[in-house]
Amino acid sequence: MAPNEGDGVATYLEAIRQALWEEMERDPRVFLMGEDIGEYGGAFKVTEGFLERFGAERIVDTPIVESGMVGAAAGAALMGQRPVVEMQFIDFIANAFDQLVNFVAKSHWRWGQPMPLVVRGPCGAGVRGGPFHSQSPEGWFHHVPGLKIVQPATAYDAKGLLKAAIRDPDPVLYLEHKMLYRRTKGELPAEDYEVPIGKAEVRRQGSDITIVTYGAMLHRSLEAAEKLAADGVEAEVVDLRTLLPLDDTTVMESVRRTSKVVIVHEDTLTGGIGAEIAARIADSGFEHLDGPVRRVASRDCAVPFSAPLEDAFMPQVEDIQRACGELVAY
Amino acid sequence: MRLTAGIHIADTARVVTRSEAYDPPEYVSWQADASVLREWDQTLDASRSRRRIVDCLTPREHLDLFAGLLRFRFMDTFLKRWVKQGVISKAWLGTGEEAVTVGSVHALRRGRSGDVVGPMIRNAGAYREMGMPMAAVFRSYLGTGDQLCKGRDLHIGDLEYGLVPPISMVAALVPVFAGVALAFKQRHEERVALTWVGDGSTRTGDFHEGMSLAASLALPLVVVVQNNQVALGTRVEVHTRAPLDKLHVAYGVKGYTCDGNHVLDTYAATAQAATDCRKGRGPVLVTATTFRMGGHATHDEAEARDMLPAALFQYWGRRDPVGTYEAWLERSDLRLEEGAGAWVQERDALPQERRERNRFLLAEVARAAQEEVERAASEALESRGTAMPDGSDVDQGVYARACD
Repeated sequence: MAPNEGDGVATYLEAIRQALWEEMERDPRVFLMGEDIGEYGGAFKVTEGFLERFGAERIVDTPIVESGMVGAAAGAALMGQRPVVEMQFIDFIANAFDQLVNFVAKSHWRWGQPMPLVVRGPCGAGVRGGPFHSQSPEGWFHHVPGLKIVQPATAYDAKGLLKAAIRDPDPVLYLEHKMLYRRTKGELPAEDYEVPIGKAEVRRQGSDITIVTYGAMLHRSLEAAEKLAADGVEAEVVDLRTLLPLDDTTVMESVRRTSKVVIVHEDTLTGGIGAEIAARIADSGFEHLDGPVRRVASRDCAVPFSAPLEDAFMPQVEDIQRACGELVAY
Repeated sequence: MRLTAGIHIADTARVVTRSEAYDPPEYVSWQADASVLREWDQTLDASRSRRRIVDCLTPREHLDLFAGLLRFRFMDTFLKRWVKQGVISKAWLGTGEEAVTVGSVHALRRGRSGDVVGPMIRNAGAYREMGMPMAAVFRSYLGTGDQLCKGRDLHIGDLEYGLVPPISMVAALVPVFAGVALAFKQRHEERVALTWVGDGSTRTGDFHEGMSLAASLALPLVVVVQNNQVALGTRVEVHTRAPLDKLHVAYGVKGYTCDGNHVLDTYAATAQAATDCRKGRGPVLVTATTFRMGGHATHDEAEARDMLPAALFQYWGRRDPVGTYEAWLERSDLRLEEGAGAWVQERDALPQERRERNRFLLAEVARAAQEEVERAASEALESRGTAMPDGSDVDQGVYARACD
């Protein structure tokens, strides 16, 4: 069954399926490549039923070759195809680092050749996946000119951003948070739509403090914001959605409104995206600030396996709430 | 500016003369060696199917193969000259290995919607042989702005000519070319993707991943292993224990070996591989054994001489791909004049003795190649005066579609 036949409410995972399915129906150049995505339907069953509908030439099961598939996606993209590569877990993207940062990302700048490809895969912690199935790799790639990085936090954005990524002429890393796969649901429009790459979204309005976040941390930030509201603090919550290039405008507008900023991300602290955002705010929004830019991020270690360790590792609602409370009182 | 290596028809020994300043010492007083020429013929006769492929070459195609070798050799000589003059700081040359590039490229379908190749920098002769004007190569070395890469990279490419630029992580193009081949297969196009790797880069993960992927999907990919017996500064027997001509077995694909200094053998082996691919029997590994007659680049030629046994230079020096083909063509009973075009007609008065006539024809090819190289180099030098990039747009074009 085509994944878009339903009552309009879909999970985040279903939204991803719909985007892939519809884009494959729309454009014969779009094809999928990955490990166990055909007959097996993918480790998270994102591509279940795709092989039957689209055939083995467009649902390409590969050997265990992450660098091989990203390289092959690049070659196919150069020939005019629109490949979408699945990393079974986004952690495995490390194996394709050279292809991404050296061949793919430099292509348009180096010789004017667009590189319309998408690398997508499940990222993030909170499911007791341990050090190799839980990472947030955005920091590794945020420093690489030529790449675009998106991470949806809602089902609506999951579909719209993936469509935009597939239609984009540049290489897009599409990070899907595995915690949200089945926990997040949303109403999806029947008609075709895109969520533009490069545009953040204000998810909650508030005048006391700005929380800049994305991905699964959006939900924790919103929860923290509700708790803060009970104490009379109104937090504005900005969902970045696109991590590279950053939407400075939306962030800066919010900073001007609230004068206080907490950046929340699940990636580890040092050299994370929060550092870049904080630097930009310091650079062009200093006179609007009424306090230091604070960051709430995962601790600087690998993602641990055991439940209490993982909880201690990554930002919890209380951590966000506390940081905001302290900053408001500053 | 003219090359020291000139064309002297009066010289009865060689059509293409050598230069002490720019040629490897083994090439300077190069003479055709009878045993090497016998070997050349034996190589041709060793495989009936390859012999048939070579027998189908027209005189024009032979002359163009010869021209290709010369264009590559003369281009490299010119680059060496520029290094010596301080015009550029160094150059990566194909000296002694030209036949691997030229033979492979000529076996492909070239032109719009033809086959696609991904050279290593040591295959820079592939640019011109795929149809790109040679001035682009010289411009890339000078970093001028009037080219597709705008001086941003020394490695150049242009899909207009079926050329994907090299990347310094050699063998990273193996997966990329698996993808090029995948696109051809998905669209049912009878096209072939070809890339070269060195003996050294057969050790990389990307070589293995690219070959595994291409094999698993039965893609029309030809990978030419250009075994020049050294990876920058490490000899092949030090970096690789496995026999390079047996690598295909591990991937369950076809493998061919060929003499990388024998342009007709590399041509025929590549033609076989390309045919296999077009018939859906790809991918194919072609291993061409050759030898690097200089350094990794112009800056370390002395180190290469120190590190590699002199006997290797002598052995491979006698097998100069330019000289041996020239000698073979000169002695062949091919009616080369049929491939020479109109310019030969007016010279009917020349001695009718075939060998002398062949020498004359080959010299004309050499003259044209030299003129082309000189013209290309001077065009590039002109660009240096008029079209250097100014830096104002250095960070533009990072994306094909910027987000505003």
